[in-house]
Amino acid sequence: MNTINQTNEKEPGKKPEVQLSFDCSDGVAKTKKDFVRLRYLLIAGVLACFIIPHILLSAYFHFQFTSTLKTTGKYNLEALAKSQRNTIDLFLLERKMNIRNLFYNRMDTSNSSKDKMLYYLQTLKQNSDAFVDVGFLNETGLQTGYAGPFPELLNKNYKEEKWFRTLANNEKEYFITDIYLGFRNKPHFTIAVKQTIQDKMNIIRATIDPDKFYMFLRSISKGKEVETTLINNKGTYQIVDPDSGNLLGKSSYMPSLDILSGVKEISGKTGKELTAHAWLHETPWALIISQPLRLVHAQMYKTKYIMTISLVIIISLLAIVVWIVIGRLVKRAQIIAENSHHLQGQLIHASKLASVGELATGIAHEINNPLAIITSTTGVVRDLLNPEFNLDPSPENINKELDIVDSAAFRASGITKQLLDFGRKNKPERILSNINDLLDKTTQGVKKHQFDVENIELIKNYDPNLPEINVDPDRIGQVFLNLINNAGDAISGKGKITLSTSLKDRFIKIMIQDNGHGMSPDQIEEIFNPFFTTKDPGKGTGLGLSISLSIIDAMNGLLEVQSLPGQGSLFTVSLPVDTSGNA
Amino acid sequence: MKILLVDDEDQFRESVAKQLAVRNYTVSEVSSGEDAIEFIHQNNIDIVILDMRMPGMSGAETLKEIKKLSPLTEIIMLTGHATVNTAMETIKMGAFDYIPKPVKLDELINKIEDAYRKKELKEKKLNNRENGK
Repeated sequence: MNTINQTNEKEPGKKPEVQLSFDCSDGVAKTKKDFVRLRYLLIAGVLACFIIPHILLSAYFHFQFTSTLKTTGKYNLEALAKSQRNTIDLFLLERKMNIRNLFYNRMDTSNSSKDKMLYYLQTLKQNSDAFVDVGFLNETGLQTGYAGPFPELLNKNYKEEKWFRTLANNEKEYFITDIYLGFRNKPHFTIAVKQTIQDKMNIIRATIDPDKFYMFLRSISKGKEVETTLINNKGTYQIVDPDSGNLLGKSSYMPSLDILSGVKEISGKTGKELTAHAWLHETPWALIISQPLRLVHAQMYKTKYIMTISLVIIISLLAIVVWIVIGRLVKRAQIIAENSHHLQGQLIHASKLASVGELATGIAHEINNPLAIITSTTGVVRDLLNPEFNLDPSPENINKELDIVDSAAFRASGITKQLLDFGRKNKPERILSNINDLLDKTTQGVKKHQFDVENIELIKNYDPNLPEINVDPDRIGQVFLNLINNAGDAISGKGKITLSTSLKDRFIKIMIQDNGHGMSPDQIEEIFNPFFTTKDPGKGTGLGLSISLSIIDAMNGLLEVQSLPGQGSLFTVSLPVDTSGNA
Repeated sequence: MKILLVDDEDQFRESVAKQLAVRNYTVSEVSSGEDAIEFIHQNNIDIVILDMRMPGMSGAETLKEIKKLSPLTEIIMLTGHATVNTAMETIKMGAFDYIPKPVKLDELINKIEDAYRKKELKEKKLNNRENGK
């Protein structure tokens, strides 16, 4: 079957008049707007494609980098604490050995003469200037010998002191005390070493100046704003920076006694601090070093800053490049599109001019033919009246010719009337209508009688559940009448016309099928052109289908035809249920 | 002079034929191109008056066929939409002239006479050439 679909490409509400001018400025403006939108969308899309992976990768690396640096910072500070702890341990061990070595001096250690004590002190001070004094105690706890700045300590009894009792009970060979005030009422700490000579316990004790010890601690400290303190197992400061706390005061941070060394983030005076501890081996003291987090992570913050700046620079450069490249590409595409739009406009203009020409040719032909009949028939009348030709000028003969003139004149006027209908200046009136009823109205009365006379059977196959739609019943009726007339004209002799309606995909389909002579593919291509007709002269104007098409077009509908020569034709009208058209 | 009038408009064809007949022309009429060719096959025709626009074979197609069949026959085209282009086209295709509808009888008769003279001239030339041989 040959099929031609005539679809409506016009805007709803636009009348099917022929326009001689074509304005494509609207289309160009729309194209410009579209391209601006396209440009922004492309830029946003391309940038998003670059930036999102960049940001995700940066975030991942930043997270990894930060956690690594934080861990490294902690390890570093803990390692520093351990290293300093070892140095302090070594210092205390050295001092202890300095004292122990006194027992193995060439001099007799069983007595504690003043000279000997002075010699001891001198020997100790040669080893370390942190030694303040030295004393010699017998097994009763009495200090029998003393050298140092506190001579009143000679003959003091230390048997009640914890360190003495510990040594006396053979629990340890030496003892390092916490810092205390003691008999001299001045902060110091004591290292006492026991030696049993001839079954008698002898103790040499020496005191260490905490200030000197502090200086020693300062000398081994490393790092910016690193604060180093020593506390005992009760949390009492043994060595502390005077700005940070009082000697023998309580520390706010007390590390766990079970953990030999560790590191922790705590809130300090200047914000968050990283604090590491390490318990000494020689005495139950803990070295605590702390550093503000901002300094621990200074390198991390610097790297982060550089990374952020680099990322911003890279993304900005990328954005500029993307902006320029896409801008140029879109501009080029826009120029091409605008040119094609202009070209399309010119083509439409040309095709409209061609249709005007075609229409004018059709009108000329259709009007000139009856005019030619009129002039030639009047010529015949003149001949009848001319005695020269010796014809019969009877009123009958003249009237016969005048009838021909009349019919030709009415034929011309019929064409002009249909042309006016084709122009359709009158406003359509839309009413909610039932298509089945409209079809019935069209086929009632005269039409029915005509079909009966012509032996044409009319078969109706309606869908009873069609929704009502908003249409101009006169115009749709005109379309149905045109199509039914054509179907009738296509049948010579006995035949049948089938009218069917159905609802499919929000479209009402009206099918008008005949079993008449059908059409060739060439004819199908022409049938919607104005003035094309396959009927005999005077029977069809060739305007019916073009008018029908323009009506259906205005409704956003579809008029389709299928036909085979000798088998008949099927015309299908599809009308949208949601009518926004003009008919 | 034998004239064949070819037009699908019956009333026009008949009234023109009547007017020519009373002026002593021998006029035959047919209503389509196909019929015209058939007629010329069987009859000797001097002048054909041929409508441009007809259902079935168009005037131009019929013109071509007639020229093949009977080259000496002169053809006057009838057109309801005369333009210089259509006139030039038909003349290029071998028509003697064209005449627009509605037709002025005097003009038609003048063209018929001119065409007939041209046909006679052509026949004479052809005869001379044949005699010369």
